[in-house]
Amino acid sequence: MSQRRFCGILNTAISLPKAPRGGRMNQGKRGLIVSFLAVPLLLYGVFVLVPYIAAMVFAFTKWRGLSANISFNGINNFIKLSNDSNFLNALSHNGVALIVLPVCIVGLALFFAFLFTQGIRFARFFRITFFFPQVMSTVVVAVLWSFIFHPTIGLINGTATALGISGLKGFPWLGNASTVFPAVLAVTIWQAVGFYMVMFVAGMQNIPTSYYEAAKIDGATPWVLFWQITVPLLWDTLRTAIIFLAAGAMDLFALVNVMTNGSGGPSRGADVLSTYMYQTAFTRSEFGYASAMGLVLLLIVLGISLVSMRLTARDSLEF
Amino acid sequence: MARNDLLSRRKFLKLAMLSGGTAAAGSLLAACGTSTPAASTAAPAQATAAPVASAAAAEATAAPVASAAATAEAAAGGLPFTVAADALDPFKLATDVEVDGVFFAGGFGDGYLKNTGTWMEQIHPGLKVKVQGIQQVGPQLQPRFVAGNPPDVVGNSGANNLDTVGLLNEGQLLDLSALMDAPSLDTPGKTFKETLIPGSQDDGVYEGKQMYLNMAYTVFGLWYSKTAFEKAGYTYPKTWAEMLTLCEDIKKGGVAPWTYQGKYPYYLREWVLPTLIYKNGGNAPLIKIDNLEASAWSDPSVVQAVEDLYALWDKGYILEGTAGMTHTEAQTAWLQGKAFFIPSGNWLENEMKTTTPADFTMVIGAIPGYADGKGDQNGVQAVGGEPFFVPSKGAHPQHGLEFLRVMLSKNSAKWFAENVSSVMPVLNGTEGANISAGMQSSLDLASTANGAIVRLNYGTWYRRLYDEGDVYLGELMTGVKKPADFIQAMQSLADEIAKDPDTKKYTRSA
Repeated sequence: MSQRRFCGILNTAISLPKAPRGGRMNQGKRGLIVSFLAVPLLLYGVFVLVPYIAAMVFAFTKWRGLSANISFNGINNFIKLSNDSNFLNALSHNGVALIVLPVCIVGLALFFAFLFTQGIRFARFFRITFFFPQVMSTVVVAVLWSFIFHPTIGLINGTATALGISGLKGFPWLGNASTVFPAVLAVTIWQAVGFYMVMFVAGMQNIPTSYYEAAKIDGATPWVLFWQITVPLLWDTLRTAIIFLAAGAMDLFALVNVMTNGSGGPSRGADVLSTYMYQTAFTRSEFGYASAMGLVLLLIVLGISLVSMRLTARDSLEF
Repeated sequence: MARNDLLSRRKFLKLAMLSGGTAAAGSLLAACGTSTPAASTAAPAQATAAPVASAAAAEATAAPVASAAATAEAAAGGLPFTVAADALDPFKLATDVEVDGVFFAGGFGDGYLKNTGTWMEQIHPGLKVKVQGIQQVGPQLQPRFVAGNPPDVVGNSGANNLDTVGLLNEGQLLDLSALMDAPSLDTPGKTFKETLIPGSQDDGVYEGKQMYLNMAYTVFGLWYSKTAFEKAGYTYPKTWAEMLTLCEDIKKGGVAPWTYQGKYPYYLREWVLPTLIYKNGGNAPLIKIDNLEASAWSDPSVVQAVEDLYALWDKGYILEGTAGMTHTEAQTAWLQGKAFFIPSGNWLENEMKTTTPADFTMVIGAIPGYADGKGDQNGVQAVGGEPFFVPSKGAHPQHGLEFLRVMLSKNSAKWFAENVSSVMPVLNGTEGANISAGMQSSLDLASTANGAIVRLNYGTWYRRLYDEGDVYLGELMTGVKKPADFIQAMQSLADEIAKDPDTKKYTRSA
């Protein structure tokens, strides 16, 4: 790629104001930009792209990751993968998360953001409180919630028993195949809602109040205000949130790994692609096979990102 | 807002979405930070030789070597014990090198390793021994094995350890035969091999060669509070039928009879079920399971053992909520008197030291058997754990052998017993050391077994059978799978592994 063209791309990517053509100033500016970007791009290439490409190569090998013996075995890993019930089980959990997380998190975050921009009392306090889980490390959150879900000394069962719901006495939330994944999802939602709420609040505060006032004069209900003014004007932010959450739903590694102690839960009830891949690579030493999973996951995430970008594309409104 | 600013913001978001999305996928393989229990998964042992009845018998059968009298007080550093001249330097070591040892430092700490390093430097003046006690052995050493520059000696245990058998299959481990036949450091007239507890190193023997050594000696059984037991006036059950009767009594008293390390079902799968199978059907069914035979899991004695284990759940003898607890949580509940029995190895006492009530007095009992069983009813799972090995591609493999020879010496074992209150698989290694009541009860249990050692290997040989077996056993103990389903699931997985051309197979005949 010629430098000229490369700078052209850079220009559009960062949308430089058009400088007068051919001036020396402009040359200098381009040189400056290229020199600023060279080091980060080099680092990115060495530490991100090269490992990606290496993993793509390993996906077609029988490598165990314990020595330099690497033998190619064609698409055998992928054939094995298509018959691997654990892989499909993990994939189905990611699928559930892909639906549940964006819907619940965006829905709740919007609701709270709307609530706390309506001038109710203690709004600031609530905003800070809701944002707090985002500040904590995911591992800390997972450990804390493991205690909350604890069968005998946990907050949930303790509260339920105190309220006279005797059915929950000693119920193992994380030790039951049908409740372990919902528990993990609940924690994910709890942790993420505050962050997106703050994002939406910021977006809402950018909307000029005159729009709302005008609509109110025309007799619009709060419901109409929300759907006809807030949502369309927030669309860019909403869209970013949805796409981030969709990509995040394909991960979930830290929470699942800590809350199930690395096992993926009873009957693999909370196993997701990332945890199954980790187990395959690091406890079973099947690096080639795990890399094949990684490649499939990469394609899935790319696909999801593209599809969700397509689906949410709209003309953005200027205001 | 200016038009092109807006445009750039949207473009930027688009790019961020794409790169963020792929980064999430790409970084997964590099992700780290698991939390598996620190209790190392002790590798089960296998029989290759008939174990000798006792230490004394072993002493008597060994022919003494002639050059006993010549001893040499080790040089300057002042070694706290004497070493015979012919046992000083069997590997003819170069002393101008730095030995690179990397070890897991977990519940046993790394004092015994530093100790070994110091003694080694004193025995070989001029030598430098670098001892690194670390966590997460796998992520730290894997790149070194792949690059072909591994350490000279490795202690491979704890969370995220390397797959020892995987390394072995890749030709990364040195055959330890030279070490096994070398003279013992501080037991005159004995080879190194003759000083180790019979049976404790059998699982490290592959195709007739010792490939790794176990540093710890572990006895498995059922733990209970002697105080509570005597107060209630119970008798320890000899058979499983008596155990179930006793459980009914305990339950009537308002205490749960059993708990186990819920989220880690391997405590039951590796250390309770095999003993039940052995006491019921002898060694034959366990050998069939290890050899991945087509009907191994449907052997009547295996079916009976699985049904008996399941009875604990079926009759409601397991503490409520056990399935949702980690090993420490279940053990804590047990210490609080919420449950009566818990299965574990003899690291339990040391592991729970800080939370054990003063008057608890934990002791170990045998896993009950069968009045009409084919196996030796005194059989116990007493095996080595915490594998140590010498990488074949290390810079100084001979020095690695010497490190292991010093580490598993009698003096080192004594230091270990006194300072870590645990046992090394060295004959008479606890002589003169103060041992806690619980540890002593486990050693007594091992000696009543009189050589009837229960072993199984399938979990060590086939990591998948280990992982999935845990899933299935967890399902069995929560009623999700009935015994027949469990047996069928284990069998079909064993069949699958037997058919898989990518998996190296091992067999045993005794």
